[in-house]
Amino acid sequence: MRHFLVMTAFAALAAVVFGAVAKDSNHERLMYGIKVFAEFMAIGLVLAWILYFIPF
Amino acid sequence: MTKVDYSSSVESAPAKAWAMGIAAWLVPGLGHVLQGKWGRALLLGGAVWTSFILGLSMGGHLFKFSGGDQGLSSLLQIPPMVGDLGTGLLYIACWIWGYGFANGPQQAALPTFEYGWTFLLVAGLLNYLSSLDAFDIAAGRKS
Repeated sequence: MRHFLVMTAFAALAAVVFGAVAKDSNHERLMYGIKVFAEFMAIGLVLAWILYFIPF
Repeated sequence: MTKVDYSSSVESAPAKAWAMGIAAWLVPGLGHVLQGKWGRALLLGGAVWTSFILGLSMGGHLFKFSGGDQGLSSLLQIPPMVGDLGTGLLYIACWIWGYGFANGPQQAALPTFEYGWTFLLVAGLLNYLSSLDAFDIAAGRKS
């Protein structure tokens, strides 16, 4: 559970900065921040499951 | 062959932009506060400060070039040190007071040790982005 929370915190902090410095309007920034957050979480979970099945 | 003169198309940044960029690097969020961008300062500065504090609280360590290791080992400390240095005065204060640089077996045995230094490193890298944002706003390239 701790690993998931840390990953979520990491994704949220990075998404806030990426969203704030990118794009032009506030709506675009919000959507981009959500997209970055979702991508971090999805890629993290996929990689975790892949590594889980690798025996070495 | 004709020579193309690019000097007229190069856009020079005003001194204020450099000052804002350096201020944003030194104290996360300050570059935006000085320009009245309070919301952005809160978001960017808050994210960097939070990441840095979380990193330290998780037992992470900051990198520095010690030069004591043999061969390439000491050189490998430079890239993460540059990343950590992105937090500006936070890194410098820790360096002056010798806080956060411990890298012994006890420190490394903490379950959150790896997370800790990753958060510290990312805090610095995110602050570089924040500094560039403050620079661009002051230079009039962004609103």
